Amino acid sequence: MPRQPSARADDCVVRVRGVHFAVNARPVFEGVDLDIRRGSVTAVMGPSGTGKTTLLRLITGQLRADAGLVEVEGHDVSRLDRAATYAMRRRMGMLFQNGALLTDLDVYENVAFPLREHTRLPERLLRHVVLSKLQAVGLRGAWRLMPAELSGGMARRVALARAIVMDPELLIYDEPFVGLDPISMGMVLRLIRRLNDALGLTSIVVSHDVREITAVADACYLISGGRVAASGAPSALSASEREDVRQFMHGLPDGPVPFHYPAPPYLEQVEEAR
Amino acid sequence: MLAALPRELLSSLRTALVTLGTYALFFARLVAGAPPALVRFGLVVQQVHNAGALSLVIIMLSGLFVGMVLGLQGFDLLERFGSEESLGTAVALGLLKELGPVVTALLFAGRAGTALASELGLMRATDQLAAMEMMAVDPVRRVVLPRFLGCVISMPLLAAVFSLIGLFGAQLIGVQLMGVDAGQFWSQMRGAVEVDDVMEGVVKSGVFGVACGLVAVYEGYHSIPTAEGVGRATTRTVVIASVLVLLLDYMLTAVML
Repeated sequence: MPRQPSARADDCVVRVRGVHFAVNARPVFEGVDLDIRRGSVTAVMGPSGTGKTTLLRLITGQLRADAGLVEVEGHDVSRLDRAATYAMRRRMGMLFQNGALLTDLDVYENVAFPLREHTRLPERLLRHVVLSKLQAVGLRGAWRLMPAELSGGMARRVALARAIVMDPELLIYDEPFVGLDPISMGMVLRLIRRLNDALGLTSIVVSHDVREITAVADACYLISGGRVAASGAPSALSASEREDVRQFMHGLPDGPVPFHYPAPPYLEQVEEAR
Repeated sequence: MLAALPRELLSSLRTALVTLGTYALFFARLVAGAPPALVRFGLVVQQVHNAGALSLVIIMLSGLFVGMVLGLQGFDLLERFGSEESLGTAVALGLLKELGPVVTALLFAGRAGTALASELGLMRATDQLAAMEMMAVDPVRRVVLPRFLGCVISMPLLAAVFSLIGLFGAQLIGVQLMGVDAGQFWSQMRGAVEVDDVMEGVVKSGVFGVACGLVAVYEGYHSIPTAEGVGRATTRTVVIASVLVLLLDYMLTAVML
């Protein structure tokens, strides 16, 4: 039985209980339970295709669970109407895998976008807020660049500035390290921890970069086979004796997760093709 | 195989009905959202520039050549009856009531429609629309509606430009090259063309603008977020919009004649 980090209900920003979810009758989750504690950086890990991004979409209300409960700040996400879902999202920030910057706007306007849409701030104050967020991610000097002129790491940092510009309480990172060089990865990693502590956020980081993310996370969840295979402090997961946990945490090629996709016998398949 | 035919037909019919239904719902959503979207008129103006101003060159060039061809063909035909002075009237009525709106709409679907569909498709494929959703911004209100309204406003303007340039092209051939009397050319046109004829073109081009805009934003917004999906959305935009324009043209002509 996976060990759950103990948490009181009011101490949790996100509570997931017994969530089932299927895509085209293929089960993705078969009873997922997890808690995201306030003020923590929580890593959600797992092999590719285990539904980590789907879990984020369930938490943010982009998808609805087939069964079970997904609660954000005590509200059942599946019962929220469009207006309430948007109200919930205003208190969240999300960093997408590729940054998802609006390509027709420059860096400054990308970061200013949520403010312009949701507030009536005077231009002078808006400029101050935007530049301070860009300063926080080290890209104030790049304010007039277009997204096409940014490197992958810079785009991710601009997206991070945009994600925090509305001062969210919950920050969600979807595979923030994909395609980044070690320097950029280190920068993003440091920003995740620093922003979380400095701004008093709660962060969820979906990643399979085990070594990097466990260095900054307070708690980890390992998802495999539609369930939470293991959870706890990063050190506990690293020391786990469970085969599937060991295989993932130490990147072992052999183990419960097979190398080969299920297939008929080789010769049979060759004969079939003739 | 034959036994399976009715079932496949039924399935295709059902798919077509579902598509038509979702088109209707999407259109209703656009109409309902149009008044608040017009409040942020700057966004609409930007799209009038993208869809309209950037299509001007192709529309003007095409208008000129279509007008010149009309001038040549019209002169050749009218000369047989000795009424080449009516060339201006014939060309003006043909352009204002029919060719202006229709050819402009077909070109518009090819130029602006495909650009819109691929832009929206790529925005979906690169998670830009999902990012807006996550920022509690409705992409239909912020992205789709200004583009749709940009099309609706641009089309009549472009059709007017097409017809004007077409008249100039016809005059160039008829008067300057073939020697039709300039006074006859313009005065017969002024005498024969009525406000109703102009309005017919305006109504048609407005309706075609709605049709082209709706198809482009619908196909782009609902495209599958892959390279193939965006390509298919672009192709579907040209095909559906072109056929729809021709179908609507017949229906409107039948009603307004």
